[in-house]
Amino acid sequence: MTKNEFLSKLADELKKNNVADADDIICEYEQHFAFKMADGYSEEEIAAKLGDPAELASQFEGPAQEKSYAGKKLITVTGLFFVDIFIGALFILLISWEIIMAALSIVNAVIAVCLFSNTIPRSIIPHIPYLSGVVFGVAMSALSVLSATGCIYFYSFIRQFMRSYGRFHKNTIAAASGNAVLPPLAVHPKLPAKINRRIRSVTLFSLVIFTACVVLGMVISMILSGSIEFWHAWGWFGYGINR
Amino acid sequence: MNIQYKKGVLELCVLSLLKKRDCYGYEISEYLSKHIDIADGTVYPILRKLKSEGLLTTYLQEESGGPPRKYYRLTQLGRETYEKEREEYLNFAKRVESLLEDDIND
Repeated sequence: MTKNEFLSKLADELKKNNVADADDIICEYEQHFAFKMADGYSEEEIAAKLGDPAELASQFEGPAQEKSYAGKKLITVTGLFFVDIFIGALFILLISWEIIMAALSIVNAVIAVCLFSNTIPRSIIPHIPYLSGVVFGVAMSALSVLSATGCIYFYSFIRQFMRSYGRFHKNTIAAASGNAVLPPLAVHPKLPAKINRRIRSVTLFSLVIFTACVVLGMVISMILSGSIEFWHAWGWFGYGINR
Repeated sequence: MNIQYKKGVLELCVLSLLKKRDCYGYEISEYLSKHIDIADGTVYPILRKLKSEGLLTTYLQEESGGPPRKYYRLTQLGRETYEKEREEYLNFAKRVESLLEDDIND
């Protein structure tokens, strides 16, 4: 008897005897074949050693607990449905935050380019001397990189969180129907050490550059405008000295 | 030896193995067929029966390069049942042994 003959015979017999979870049982025998075949036995040998499928099928008990699980499963699925609604809303919130961070990163990059190339649309950014502009431009680039790394880390966090919740979801249903469960997954992402280190150093580097350039830019602007409140001197907010 | 006769004893053997450590189905089948002459397939109905009686629980564990394996673990009830039945069996076996040996001496 080959593997397939054995398994289909067993499946038929189990069905005839009304045994619950026949798939689960078939799966167990399938794995037995896989292990034995890895040890170099032929399908016929393995089937012969396993015994007669009809004889084996008769040793499994008929339908018994399927009913006691039905009620439990219904409650679990209902409860899980409500949890899903809340978690689903949380996922939407997290994804929105991810999108906002991505937008922030892009906008900062665009502002930086405008400042570098000195092609500032007057309606958006008011007058600024080129030297101050360049320093603030570097600060904006650093902020852009900072939010981009934040984006990347946050993406892997959301992804891991979703996988973790998916596993929880599956396990809860499996446990309620009396099936075996998989170990839970961690909520926080486990990035490779190398990438983790890289993200950390890029974050730190851009944070330092950003802070330094903001301070430097303000100092330069104060000197150039001759006023501590340089934004008033350049008439940034609709009222000022030079307007 | 006939199969019905062996079955109750096999349950005891499975419990004794699982008392030492958690195992997946194939391991248990290999262990039993190494020590006792039975068809390899017999162990799976036994595992299922023990599980439905609440003596065992199952959990899956992911293995590198392969589908997750289903491990069997002894429950508290399983542990207590094993200790009790082990005592009973050993007592019983001792009595039977002394009875059968008397037979030779007579």
